[in-house]
Amino acid sequence: MRGTLNDRSPIYLQIAQMLEDDILRESFREEEQVPSTNELAREYNINPATAAKGIDLLVSEGILYKRRGIGMFVAKGAGSMVRQKRKAAFYDGYVKPLVKEGASLALTGEELVAMIQQAMGEEKDK
Amino acid sequence: MNAGILKAEGLCKSYKDKEVLHDLDLTIEPGKIYGLIGRNGAGKTTLLGILTAQNTKDSGSVTYDGQPVWENQKALDDICFSRELQPTLFSGPNNLKVKHYLRSAAIYYPNWDLDYALRLLDEFQLSTKKKISQLSKGQMSMVTILIALASRAPITILDEPAAGLDVVMRERFYQLLLEDFAQTDRTFIVSTHIIEEAASVFERVIILDQGRIVENAPTEELIGQFRYISGREDVVDQACTGLQVLSAHQMGRHKTVAVRGDVVKLEAAQEADVDISPMNLQNVFVSLCGHGDAQ
Repeated sequence: MRGTLNDRSPIYLQIAQMLEDDILRESFREEEQVPSTNELAREYNINPATAAKGIDLLVSEGILYKRRGIGMFVAKGAGSMVRQKRKAAFYDGYVKPLVKEGASLALTGEELVAMIQQAMGEEKDK
Repeated sequence: MNAGILKAEGLCKSYKDKEVLHDLDLTIEPGKIYGLIGRNGAGKTTLLGILTAQNTKDSGSVTYDGQPVWENQKALDDICFSRELQPTLFSGPNNLKVKHYLRSAAIYYPNWDLDYALRLLDEFQLSTKKKISQLSKGQMSMVTILIALASRAPITILDEPAAGLDVVMRERFYQLLLEDFAQTDRTFIVSTHIIEEAASVFERVIILDQGRIVENAPTEELIGQFRYISGREDVVDQACTGLQVLSAHQMGRHKTVAVRGDVVKLEAAQEADVDISPMNLQNVFVSLCGHGDAQ
């Protein structure tokens, strides 16, 4: 295992998430081929079965599809599927921890909302 | 325990026509644990041997407290270099028994702590009657560790103490090292190839590459200068402006680069739509000394 992978979550999930990021950033566009299991295994020094598990996850969600004898490809509408999936996970993954940490710092709801609005303003100015 | 400063200046060493150390400078300050890392054949053991006057040098100087260490009893009393043991000695088997080895250490090191040595002997379950040549690789490492720790030398050097030890024993070794360090404030130099599990023990890390010291820096500070940046090729290239790119990998338009730079520039890279992840000491080492071999 090497490079950008870490040991905080299962490796196959990190592989899947990385491919999703690549799709969102259009590193891999619709109907384009993604790296094969073996290419991923070599690049990250991981077991090919682990890489395959990450790809299979995205296949089962319809984000990637298999062309027999050729390889794995990005499905039509994959970008919006990934976005949809990430939105669904956003509440649990980001909003809840934010509120929890805010509560432990005794921040009021108004303060929390004001901070979010401020951050949104800063993001827009970029 | 007050150790002096151990200092090497302009060290050069060749074996036949192979130059091993090139004009090397190094200062070892008292009261710190140093990690010495380098690839096979980088010159680690040669350097440690010369620092402790066990090997000859071609040119340059090694001083302790301002005095040359070569044939200097007073300096060498303060320095312990526990070499890796070999199953053979002078082309025959190493027939010395463990007890003989310990007895000679007791004579050689003026601060030898017999009680501590016996406690470690018991903990490591080493038999003093066994011959060195009959020990396993791990047991040989235990003997070198025992000698190093019980020498109580203000400057103690361990060459590959973790070699051959199982993971439980390696953890125990670093625990013993830290316990002793906390009590005595000795200076330790530890060379190892098992980098990641030692990284948190080293206050400073010295990286030796092809006979030159490429880094001698506080461990955390060094690691903090390195990142992986990955994302879409053109965005990654943009984000790397002003950073030193050490290696790059590409799969289609997905690109991952290893970079080095100051904190301000690394933070600026964060503004782009890329993933930035930290490195550990092992990643840093591979980036600096890999020379494309493993990458």
